[in-house]
Amino acid sequence: MLGGNGSGKTTLLVCISRMLRPTAGEILLSSTDLTKLSGERLRQARLPLAMIWQQASLVRRRSVLRNVAAGALGRYGGLWTALGGLPAVERRAAYDHLRAVGLAALAGQRAGTLSGGQAQRVAIARALAQRPQVLLADEPVASLDPEAADDIMRLLRHLAAHEHLAVLCVLHQVELAYAYADRVVGIRDGTMAFDRPCAELSRDAVRELYLNEAA
Amino acid sequence: MSLDTAAPQLAERRWSGAISLALRLVMVVALLAIVVQAAIVVRARPQDLITGAYGMADIIRRAMPPDFSKIGMVWWPALETIDLGIFGTVGGVIMALPLAVLAAANVTPSRYLYYLARGVIGFARAVPDLVWALLFVTAVGLGPFPGALALSVHSIGMLGRLFAETIEHMDMGPIDALSLTGARRVQVFTHGIIPSILPSLLGIALYRLDENIRSPLVLGFVGAGGIGFELLSAMSLFQYQLVSLLLIITFVIVIAAERLSALLRARLG
Repeated sequence: MLGGNGSGKTTLLVCISRMLRPTAGEILLSSTDLTKLSGERLRQARLPLAMIWQQASLVRRRSVLRNVAAGALGRYGGLWTALGGLPAVERRAAYDHLRAVGLAALAGQRAGTLSGGQAQRVAIARALAQRPQVLLADEPVASLDPEAADDIMRLLRHLAAHEHLAVLCVLHQVELAYAYADRVVGIRDGTMAFDRPCAELSRDAVRELYLNEAA
Repeated sequence: MSLDTAAPQLAERRWSGAISLALRLVMVVALLAIVVQAAIVVRARPQDLITGAYGMADIIRRAMPPDFSKIGMVWWPALETIDLGIFGTVGGVIMALPLAVLAAANVTPSRYLYYLARGVIGFARAVPDLVWALLFVTAVGLGPFPGALALSVHSIGMLGRLFAETIEHMDMGPIDALSLTGARRVQVFTHGIIPSILPSLLGIALYRLDENIRSPLVLGFVGAGGIGFELLSAMSLFQYQLVSLLLIITFVIVIAAERLSALLRARLG
């Protein structure tokens, strides 16, 4: 998803994740309309929907492994997790998720000691622990250097293919969209400007997205 | 700005200068007046200090040397004083933590609970520990237990407020992220909030422990145990050499608690 500053990309993502309730329209997740739900039923229905942000948002004083395993909490309701414990099954699964993002070696380290790129990978592993069908990513590489940004995008691409994840990613860098997206949606002034497969996307159409801003 | 508007502005500046000077004078006079009325109201009479110097010297002379032979009967109240502080702090933390969660604007489940929790915390703080001790002494009788209860309840005031502030100032990113994974409210609390603020909480609790070891001294005066109680009885029996021993012990405990608390807090950083 591309668009200029203030075009409404993040707002759209926030609505899809139902942190905000949209004023109109519906959000269908496996044919369940999220806009009609609230409270506990919304929490349940939203479980297959994971999200990452520009900031990794890890609990800095906990280990990498515990941060990842915490992504699975939504599926557990017992006293043990309420008291701060993590199910043994999920600890083991967290190792696998860390391996999937290439950071199994750092499992025991405190999350606060990681670099930006590593932290973002851990955030992705936490999202995987949620066992999602959809991964929403709000400018996941905006605060990373180009190399780390490419790493993260390649990882998202890989996960989309191998974990059967639908990845909806808001980007600021047009080149990354060309390199990694299957389909590009352009947003301008809160409305959809285009929705095309990446291969059919003309440079002019993309440039037009950012034109209003300059004027 | 053009020239013709500059002239009136200069004049205005001169005026405002004069006014602020006058204001400052009035403030100084007002401040003096406040101090003088305070001295009159408390009936401060420096000459009494001079005539009283002899009486003070006499008490000090009679308190010397401290009666170290009584040390055997002093260690128990000393331990009691320290344990009052420990119990009071632990009890305070246990009650303050849930209240702080309700009283932190960013995580409180409802507006009403927020104001209710703020009210309880404010009340616990506003009523001095001495008054709480008097209340609990009437409720559960003389001894260290009412003192420990009084310290717990009064500690809620400071602990609850500082805990709530810590929660309000924490980075909400991880908390929002965790809530969005579908974690329940309790889980977000134990897996996100607690690990993030634990060092700050421990620091505040240690600071309070230091204070709670100092205040039982006064609580003893209303019969709530500890060294304060011994001090009061020694004073009323004119055993000034025992009084001086108790004061030395108190001094040692207070300094030790303060240093230990500071040391542990520095380790937390």
